[in-house]
Amino acid sequence: MPLTAGTNEPWDWEISNRNSWRNWSFKELWAYRHLLFRFVKRDFLINYQQTLLGPLWVVLQPVLTLIVYVLVFGKWMGVNTGSSPPVLFFLCGILLWGLFSDLFTGTAFIFTYYSALYNKVYFPRLIIPFSVAGTHLLRFLIQVVLLVVVLVYYALYRNFHFTLNVWILVLPLAILLTALFALALGLIFCILTARYRDLSNIVHLGIRLFMFVTPVIYPVSLVPSGIRWFVNVNPLSALFEVFRYALLGQGLFTMGQLLYSTVFIITIFFIALAWFNKQAIRLIDVA
Amino acid sequence: MSKIVIEAAAVSKKYTLGTIGTGSFRQDIKRWLSNSMGKRNDAFFYSDKAPGNKFLALQDISFQIKQGETWGIVGSNGAGKSTLLKIISRIIQPTTGHVRGRGTIGSLLEVGTGFHPELSGRENIYISGYLLGMKKAQVLQKFDEIIAFSGLEKFIDTPVKRYSSGMYVRLAFSVAAHLDADILIMDEVLAVGDIEFQKKCLDKMQQVANDSQRTILFVSHNMQAVNHLCRQAMWLQQGKMMAIGDTGQIVDKYVGSLQKNVLSLQWQDATEAPGNEYVRLLSLQLVPQLPATTAVIDIRTPLTVKFTIRNEQEDVLLNAGLHLFNYAGECIFDVASQPIRCKAGLVQGECHIPGHFLNDGAYYFSLIIVQDTSIPLYYYEGALHFEVADYRENTTWFGKWKGAVRPQFPFRFEPSIQLTDH
Repeated sequence: MPLTAGTNEPWDWEISNRNSWRNWSFKELWAYRHLLFRFVKRDFLINYQQTLLGPLWVVLQPVLTLIVYVLVFGKWMGVNTGSSPPVLFFLCGILLWGLFSDLFTGTAFIFTYYSALYNKVYFPRLIIPFSVAGTHLLRFLIQVVLLVVVLVYYALYRNFHFTLNVWILVLPLAILLTALFALALGLIFCILTARYRDLSNIVHLGIRLFMFVTPVIYPVSLVPSGIRWFVNVNPLSALFEVFRYALLGQGLFTMGQLLYSTVFIITIFFIALAWFNKQAIRLIDVA
Repeated sequence: MSKIVIEAAAVSKKYTLGTIGTGSFRQDIKRWLSNSMGKRNDAFFYSDKAPGNKFLALQDISFQIKQGETWGIVGSNGAGKSTLLKIISRIIQPTTGHVRGRGTIGSLLEVGTGFHPELSGRENIYISGYLLGMKKAQVLQKFDEIIAFSGLEKFIDTPVKRYSSGMYVRLAFSVAAHLDADILIMDEVLAVGDIEFQKKCLDKMQQVANDSQRTILFVSHNMQAVNHLCRQAMWLQQGKMMAIGDTGQIVDKYVGSLQKNVLSLQWQDATEAPGNEYVRLLSLQLVPQLPATTAVIDIRTPLTVKFTIRNEQEDVLLNAGLHLFNYAGECIFDVASQPIRCKAGLVQGECHIPGHFLNDGAYYFSLIIVQDTSIPLYYYEGALHFEVADYRENTTWFGKWKGAVRPQFPFRFEPSIQLTDH
C-alpha cells in the first residue's frame, strides 16, 4: 500500500455533532449482520440454558395461556368466536399478540439494559433492537408450527372446515407489519425509558390495556357498531382480522383498513428509525 | 510523507451537570414550554444554564496523527483522555469541532466488551470479535490463533462464568489482540491480567506498533509502557492539551507536574530558623544533577544534599546525620558525617548520593545534629520531599521494581561451561 497518498485524498469518516441522517447507512448495518445473528443465537442460548424444559417453553407458554383463555373467555364468559372453534380462535390471537407484546417489551428497555455496551464500543446501534426483533420473530415461527399442528388436528378429527383462501398469501405481510409496529414503538420507547425512568410503568400497564382494544380475545364482529371505530383506529385490528381470516376463514376487515394499517405502521416505523438514530448517540451522554 | 489518518480540529465536549434528561419528564416539559413561550430570562426554568453547571471535558483539542505512528495519551484521572478516545471511537459526539480520519478503527476501551457469562468461550469470541468490528472471514481465519494465544484450548466450550478472572481477561485480550483495524485505540488495557500475560500483551502491541501500516492510540498510567511503546505523546489536563510531541519530553513534563517537590528550605531570620539554643538550621537544599532543566529526578539522577547550620556553642565536637525515609516511613539509610571541632559560627555540610542507587518512589530527608558523637542536639524531621521517577532500558519488564534501593552492583553473568554435543 503506498504511503505517499496526497493530502487531497478524501477522508473515510468524519465525526462531529452534525446530525446524523447520513450516519445510518444500510451498508453498515449489513456489514454487521453476523453480529445480529450471533445476538439472536445468544438470546436463545441464554434463555433456555439451564432450564428444565429448554426450548419447549417457546410453545408451552402459549399453550398454557390458551388453556386459561379457552376456560375463562370461552367456557365461562362465553365469548362468541363465530364459526371457528374457540381453541383455534384464541390460539391465533394469543400467538400474534404474543409476538407484538414480547417484541415491544423486549425492545422498549434496550437503551437502559445495553447502555454499558453502547458506552464501550461502537457498532450500529440498531443491531440490538433488530436482533431482539429477530429473536421474537424466530420464536413466533416456531409457535406457528404449533398452530399448524392444532389446525391439522381440528381439520382431520374435529370436523373443522379448513378452506385455503388467497388471503394466506397476505399472512406474512400481516405478521411482518405486526412485528414492525412493535419494533417502531419499541424504538421510540427505549429512548423515552432511558430518559424518563418512570415511563417503564407506563410501558407495562399500556401493553396490558392495549390488548383490550385489539381483537385478541374477541372478534371485531362482536364489537357494538357504535364504538367499533375505536377498535378500527388501532392499526393492529385489521392485521389480527386478516390473520384469522387467512387461517380460519373468519374475520372482518376492509381493504381500506388494511391500507390504513400498512401506511400507518410503515410511516411510524421510519419516524421511529430516524428518531432513534438521532437520539441514540446523544443519549450515551445521559444513560 | 505518510498520510494523515486522524485529524482532530478544535474538538470540545461539554457536559451539563445536573438533571437534564435524567428522569424528569416534568422538567423537560417545563423547559420545552418556557422555550417555546420565550421566557428566556426566567431564572427558575433556566437554572441549569448557570455557568457553574457546565463542565468542559475537552477543550479545543487539535492534533494530526500519521499512518504508522504510535501515540500515547497521558494525564491524570479526569483529564479527558477517555472522552477523547470515545469521540474518536464514534461512541459520543463532540459538542463542537470534528475528527476526520482514514481507515478502520478498532477500539478497546474495556477488556471483554460484550462478553456474556452464560456463553461459552467459543461463542464469546464470535460476539466480541464482531462487536469490535471484525469481519466473519477474519474471525474464522484467526479463530485458532486466538484460542492458542489465550492458552485456553481445554476450556473453550465452558461458559466463561466458570473461568477465573485471569482466564477471562486472557480470552478477552486474545480476541482484541487479533483485531485487524488500521487504527487501534486502547484505554488502560494493560492494567489487567497477571504479569506473564501482561508481558505477552506488550509484545503483541510492540509487534503491532512496529507495523508501519498501523496506527495506535494508547492511554495508560504506566509511564514505562508509554515510553517504551510510543514515539509520540500528548498530555491532557482538565480537558486541555498541555503538550504534544516526543514521548520522552511529554512524559517528563507530565511526571514533573505531578512531583510536589520541596527541594529547598531557607530561613533568613535567625529567630524563625528551626533549632534551639545549641544549633540552628539556616538552609537545607537538595540539588539534583539533571541533564536539562525540564528533566525530572529519576533513578539515574545523582543527588546532593547541602545544608548550613549555625553553631551557638564554643568549641564542641559536632557531626551531622542524614536519614532518608520512604513514604511508608521506613528508613532507607542513615549516613553520618565525620565529627569535627567547631567554634561558634556557620557550619556547612554536603552529602552526595550517587545515581542508580534509589528505587523509584517518594522520599524525604531528616537531618540530625549530634554532639560528641552521642548526644543528639537537634533533629529536624521531614525536611526535603522529593520523588524519584522510574527509568528503564533494555528490559520489557514494566511491573514494580522490587526493593528499597536499586543499586547497580558489579554483576558477572556469563557462560562458563559450554554444553556441546559430541
